[in-house]
Amino acid sequence: MAISRRDVLLGSAGVLGTAAFSLPKPAIAQSEPIKIGFLAAMTGPSSAPTIGFNRGVIFATDAINAAGGVKGRKLEIVTRDTQGDPTKAVNATQELISQAKVHAIWGPLNSGEALATTPIMARAKIPNIHPCVVESLIDPAKFPNAFRMAPSNSQWDDAVRGYCLTILRVKKVAVIGDTTGYGVTAVGASVAAFKKDGADVVYQANIDATQPDMTPDLLRAKNAGAEAIVVWSVTTGMEARMFNTRAAMNWDVPFVGHPSLASGEIAGLVEKPANWEKVYAIGYKSVSYDSAGKLPAKTQDLVDRLAKAKVAMNDTLLWWIAGGIDAVELFAKGIETSGSTEGPGIIAYLNSLSKYPGYFGDYTFTPTQHNGYPTDEIVMSEARSAKNGTFALAPGYT
Amino acid sequence: MFASILASGLAAGAIYALVGVTYNTMFSTSRVMSFTAGQLAMLGGVFGSMFTLKLGMPVIVGFALTLIGCALIGIITEFVAVRPVLKSLDQHLYVLSTLALALMIQQVAAIKWGTEPQPFPRLIGLGSGVFDEKFWLPVVACAVTIIGLEYLYRRTLVGRAFLAIAEDNFAARALGLPERNLRVASYALAGVIGGVAGFSGGELLLAFFANGALLNFYGFVPVALGGLGNNRGAIIGGLALGLFQQAANFLVGGIFSSVAVFTLFIVVLLAAPQGLFGAATARRV
Repeated sequence: MAISRRDVLLGSAGVLGTAAFSLPKPAIAQSEPIKIGFLAAMTGPSSAPTIGFNRGVIFATDAINAAGGVKGRKLEIVTRDTQGDPTKAVNATQELISQAKVHAIWGPLNSGEALATTPIMARAKIPNIHPCVVESLIDPAKFPNAFRMAPSNSQWDDAVRGYCLTILRVKKVAVIGDTTGYGVTAVGASVAAFKKDGADVVYQANIDATQPDMTPDLLRAKNAGAEAIVVWSVTTGMEARMFNTRAAMNWDVPFVGHPSLASGEIAGLVEKPANWEKVYAIGYKSVSYDSAGKLPAKTQDLVDRLAKAKVAMNDTLLWWIAGGIDAVELFAKGIETSGSTEGPGIIAYLNSLSKYPGYFGDYTFTPTQHNGYPTDEIVMSEARSAKNGTFALAPGYT
Repeated sequence: MFASILASGLAAGAIYALVGVTYNTMFSTSRVMSFTAGQLAMLGGVFGSMFTLKLGMPVIVGFALTLIGCALIGIITEFVAVRPVLKSLDQHLYVLSTLALALMIQQVAAIKWGTEPQPFPRLIGLGSGVFDEKFWLPVVACAVTIIGLEYLYRRTLVGRAFLAIAEDNFAARALGLPERNLRVASYALAGVIGGVAGFSGGELLLAFFANGALLNFYGFVPVALGGLGNNRGAIIGGLALGLFQQAANFLVGGIFSSVAVFTLFIVVLLAAPQGLFGAATARRV
């Protein structure tokens, strides 16, 4: 039988096609590293949390890789410095997805960036965990891939209100914020929630953070009969001025509110260390020590391991480090359990978590609820009690 | 309440007044409203905190170095943002060039110094309550600066040369006065006055990069109220502004006090466009 050139070509194509479909995937695909993208503001004005989170990310990745990786594959963190700039975060997200081809993304770590990047990640259906507080960032219908592993703004608000009304047992509160968009929104929401719970909001104000003297506002709050002052601001200068003014007025009203009330910078801004007493900032049970100076056992174990690994804890917050560890471990467990680096498998794993025991908190996610941090683990801390990134529980907790 | 309004109102007003004088000093020899005035005052606080707290220098050394640093920034302003646009004053390009330099100063301060307010040292340790030094130091600094300027302008040859340049630039040059050097000197002097404002007000305003923009605005108000180039007007306007602002803080609350201040500002300018103490200039036709 004569074999034509056409027969040879057809035969060759058939052999190659069969080979392509029937040959097993190259072994390299199963041994190449698992890539986790990390949108990190490593530099710039909002870099402080990132530096803490990054220590946790490195610690967890090293620990997992030292133990053999995930099903024999190493974890690789692909970090992109966004400098806290939403535009840079958007570019980095697109690059991580289309060029670096990461399997999941951790971050960004502030709401401004996350508002810009969340829709992009949703379109690419890439599993995403972040710690950003703005409510609208979590919407399982619009962003089924996005999971929050830290409290939302309203959870903070609930915790502060709960402390004022049930532990301090005050009925009349003053709510003060700065004039930023965050300050105005947070004061509005807080006032509405206090009123809904039957409290009397005797004074509310948004103060320009550069206002040099806080006497007018504190005097008005005092004259109105405020028994506690709730603060929603990230401006340490304004907060320190309020503490100094309270002392000058010989007023012992407690301040309760935003975590920045416990910022280390305030120590240099208060006129006397005593001015920073009776200030209670949002904190977390997992990283708070009790009246005997003891951390929860699991946290103490982590602190010991971090110290052994020479991870610095004295210039950051422990919850940032713990959060970084949890994020990496959640992705690693998701890939291990689903047996794949495919997005739907990781997302399905995260949606199935009920009280997953992380270091920062016990996370619960369902297909319709992606706010994973439990409100009852949010507590108030003594603002001036920082010790290796942990804080003392405020009075009233057992 | 009245004592508090008086103490913090006069203190803030004295700082605004000094920034107003900084504007005027730069304006007098160049006819340029340099929007770096507030940044010079901001740097007075930042340099002061850096030299005395961060570097641990004695207050007097820190103060001297702060004034030298601010004078240098003043001179740089003249070279970079003023001199290149002097030939086209009628196009008001100086608004752009000085604002650009002001923004650059602010951004560099934010990057190098930080975006959070930093503590400023207690300078003397005198007084408490409404008599605390953070309230009276700016007022004293303002008074000393005015006396010093009066002495300079009335009793010294250099001061008279400044006045001659301010009065009639062309005539002064025709008489052989070194107009360019005097202009550079006036910008250095403006830097020193801005530095004094920031250093004396450091305990009140803290060492904070964002103070620059705030002082640019509130320092401009007394200049406009008092009449451009009129130092006495700037002082009275500054003190009145501080008192009014603090009273508004007590009466209507923080967020509305700025609205009250600028409402008054607009009303005054509508009633007296040349400022309360300025003279209307005749236009040659």
